[in-house]
Amino acid sequence: MTNPYQFIEKFHDQLIHCSRCGFCQVSCPVYQVTLRPALNPRGKMQILKDLLEGRLSLNPELLDTLFQCTSCAVCAQHCPAGVKVAEILQEARKDLVREGIFHPTSKGLSEILGKEKNIYGQENQNSLTSPKKIRKAKIVYFIGCVGSFRETDSTHQTLILLDRLKIDYTLIDEVCCSGVLAQVGYELNPSLVNHNIEAILATGAKTVLTGCPYCYRTFTHRPEYQRLREERIKVLPLVRFLKEIDFGVTTTKRVTYHDPCDLGRHSGIYEDPRQIIRKLAPDFVEMAHSREEAICCGAGGGMRGAYPGPSIAMAGLRLQEAIATDADFLLTGCNSCLHNLKNAKKRYSPLRRHKVEVYDLAHFINQLQEKAV
Amino acid sequence: MDEHVKHELIKIVGKKHFSDALIDRITYSMDFSDHRHDLEGAVWPTSTEQVSQILQLANRLKIPVTPRGAGTGATGMAVPIQGGIVLDLVRMNKILRISIEDRLAVLQPGVVYADLQKALANHGFCFPPDPASGKVATIGGNVATNAGGIKGAKYGTTKDYVLGLEVVLPDGRIMRTGGSCMKSVSGFDLTRLMVGSEGLLGVITEIRLKINPIPAATATALGAFDQLSLAGQAVSQVMHSGIIPSVCEILDRYTINLLLDHTQADLPRCAALILVETDGTTQGEADFQMDKIIEVFKKNQAVLIKKANSAVEAAGLWQARKSLGSVITRAKPNFLVEDVTVPMSRITDLLLGIESIAQKYKLDFITFGHAGDGNLHPHALYDGSNREEVSRVEQAAADLFKLACDLGGTLTGEHGIGLSKAPFMSLEHDPAALEVMASLKKLFDPNNILNPGKMGLEI
Repeated sequence: MTNPYQFIEKFHDQLIHCSRCGFCQVSCPVYQVTLRPALNPRGKMQILKDLLEGRLSLNPELLDTLFQCTSCAVCAQHCPAGVKVAEILQEARKDLVREGIFHPTSKGLSEILGKEKNIYGQENQNSLTSPKKIRKAKIVYFIGCVGSFRETDSTHQTLILLDRLKIDYTLIDEVCCSGVLAQVGYELNPSLVNHNIEAILATGAKTVLTGCPYCYRTFTHRPEYQRLREERIKVLPLVRFLKEIDFGVTTTKRVTYHDPCDLGRHSGIYEDPRQIIRKLAPDFVEMAHSREEAICCGAGGGMRGAYPGPSIAMAGLRLQEAIATDADFLLTGCNSCLHNLKNAKKRYSPLRRHKVEVYDLAHFINQLQEKAV
Repeated sequence: MDEHVKHELIKIVGKKHFSDALIDRITYSMDFSDHRHDLEGAVWPTSTEQVSQILQLANRLKIPVTPRGAGTGATGMAVPIQGGIVLDLVRMNKILRISIEDRLAVLQPGVVYADLQKALANHGFCFPPDPASGKVATIGGNVATNAGGIKGAKYGTTKDYVLGLEVVLPDGRIMRTGGSCMKSVSGFDLTRLMVGSEGLLGVITEIRLKINPIPAATATALGAFDQLSLAGQAVSQVMHSGIIPSVCEILDRYTINLLLDHTQADLPRCAALILVETDGTTQGEADFQMDKIIEVFKKNQAVLIKKANSAVEAAGLWQARKSLGSVITRAKPNFLVEDVTVPMSRITDLLLGIESIAQKYKLDFITFGHAGDGNLHPHALYDGSNREEVSRVEQAAADLFKLACDLGGTLTGEHGIGLSKAPFMSLEHDPAALEVMASLKKLFDPNNILNPGKMGLEI
C-alpha cells in the first residue's frame, strides 16, 4: 500500500516509535502557555499516527494543531524514541498544501512572498534594504526581514559596530531568503533565492554574515542556495564572526543570554555568544533553561503571524526566566527573538515594570563602546 | 455534543475552557495505554466549584465523566471508554502552601510532579515517591492511581504521604477528608479510600501531602551475577542484613543484552544486575549501609561489583538504567509494560516464570524493576501492526497475571487496574471483596457517571 502522504513516507519509522509517553510535554512552550494536550507534541503525534493508520484524513480541522509549533525542537531533547516532531510537522504542512488545505496565514505569507520582496510586503525604501552604496567588499552583511523592517535600531547599531571594527563589508539590495516558506508548507520562491544569490556574488565577497540565524540556516542547508556553496561562499551567523574580537569594554551589570533555537538547537552554536559575553560582562548568569534546554521565544515556525496570542505568551514565559536571574540585560543573537521578547516586555505589565532590557548582542556591544549602557 | 449540554458546560467553565474540536477529541481519546474511545467534549475547570457544577450537570443528565491528569497512565484509566466528557484538571495547577514546620504541602491536582519537587527542593524537602513519569505526570494522577516508583522499598508509595483531600463526589457535593495532622484515626479513613480509586469515586480537587527532608548523602553501587538465583538470593539477604536500600533495582539478562546491543553501556553480559542506592544524613551512614550490601553481593559470588566514588561515577552507574526508556522505545515499534508485584522472596520465581512465558509465546520480553519492593516491570517488545503477535502478547499478559497471583502477588504494584487489568480482578480478589468494591462504587456513584467501565466492577 502506498502512503497517502509524504510525511509518512519520510518519517514512518519515527511515527511508529512514538509511545505516547508524553515526556515532550516537559518542555513544549506551546503546551506551557496553552495547557492544551492537543497542541503538545504528543497530541500532534497522536493525530499524525491516526493519519498513518488511515483512521483520519488531512482536513482543515487539523490546521490548529499542525501549525501551532514554533519548530523550536526542544521536545526532541526529551523524546526517548528520538522522534523529531518539528521536522515531521514541516512535511505534514506540505502535505496539507498538496491536498489543497491551506492555513490562511501561511497562504497569505506565500502570496506576499510570491509578489513582494519581504515577509511584511513593505516597499524596500529604507536605507537598509535599498542601500545607496553597494560596493565590492570582502563581506556581505545580510540583515534579514525582521532586522530590516522591525528591529531597525538594532540593525543600525550593528552596522555602526561593523564600521567601528573597520570590517570591509557591504549591504546588498536584499530580499527575503524565503526560507520561512519551507516551514509552513511551501517551496522557497526561486526568484527571491536567485536575486539574493546574484546580489551576493556581484559584490565579490567570499563571506556572508547573517543578522538572522534562520537566514543562516537557509543559506547553509537549503538545496535552493546550493550555488552559494558551489561558489565557496562562507556563511556565518554574526555571533560566530564576533567571537574572536576583543572589544575592550566591560560592564559590571548582570547579563543573561537567550539561545535562539536557530543558533542553538538547530545549529549547535552555544559557546560563541557566551565566549563574547563572558568577556564583556563578568556577571553573566544563565537562565533556568539554557543551551539545549532553552525555552523558545515563541516567534518561529510561522507562529508569530498565525497565532500571535500564544506566540507572545511564550516570549513572556522566557522573559520571566530572565527576570528570575535578576539580570539587567537579556541578550540574544536573533532579531526575531529580540522582536518577540521586546513586544512581550511591552505587553505584560509586571514585565514592563522590571528593569531588564532586551538587546541583540551586537547592539549591546556597540552601546557599551559608546558608553550608552 | 448535544447543544444543550454544551451550552450548560460553557456556562460553567467559559467558552475558552470547553472544546469538542476534533483535535482535542483525538488527544483525549487515549493515554499511555493502547486503549482508546471517542468522547463528546472536554472541559478545563479552574476551580472546585466548577468541578462540582460539572458533576451536578453530568449526574442529572447521566453523562459519563472521565477525570484526567497528564494522561500518562499505563492501563487506560483516563480513556473515556463510555464517551461523554473528559475533565482535564491540568489548569488547577497551583501549589497553595508549603509549610515546612507542619511537614506539609497543599496543592491542586494539576501540579506536575517535577514542579512540586522543584518547589520543595528549595526548602530541602521532597515528596519521596518517584514515578518514572514524574517529569510530566500530575500529583492528582499520582494520588488517583496511588503511584509508586523507584524508592518504594524504603519510602513507600503515594498513599503513605496523603494526609487529606478535597474531593468532589459524583453528585457534586464537596467532601473534605483527613487534615493537616501527621496522625489521625478519626472515623473511617476516607483519604485512604480515595487514594488509588482511579477516579471512580470522586474527583480530587485539593491534596495535602506529607513531605520528607531530602537525604543529605547517598551511596551507589552495582553488582553483576552469573546466576539469576544468586541475584535473587542477594536481594533477600540484603533485607536480612537490616539495611533498607533507598533503591534496589534488578535488570534481567534480556534487559542487559538489549542495552549492550543498543548502547555503549559498560556492563558485563550476565544473568542479572542489581543497582543499589543507600542514603543517610551523613556520607558515613550511607557508605556503612552500602558496605554491608557489598558484603552480601560478595557472599553471593557477584562477578563484578562497582561502587561509585563520586557523584559523576554514580551517574555513570545509573546511566544504563536510565537509558532503558529510550532503548525500549527504539527496539521495536510497540511495547507492553506490566507491573506485577510479588513478595520479595519470590522475585527469582517471578523472573523464571516470565522467562517461560516469553518462550511459550515466542516473544521478546525484557524485565527489570524494583526488586527492593518486589515490583517488576516485564516489557513485551512487539510490532503492533502484526495482529498475530499482538494476540500472543495478550495471552502472555494473561499468563503473567496468573503467575503473579499464584506467587502470592498482585496484578499491579503501581499502574493500577484501569481497563487493561479489569478482566483479571477475580484472580486476585475473592467474590466478597469484589462485591464490596462494587457496592462502594454504587454508594458513591449510583448513576455510574464517574469514570465508568473501569476496574471490572460492572459485572
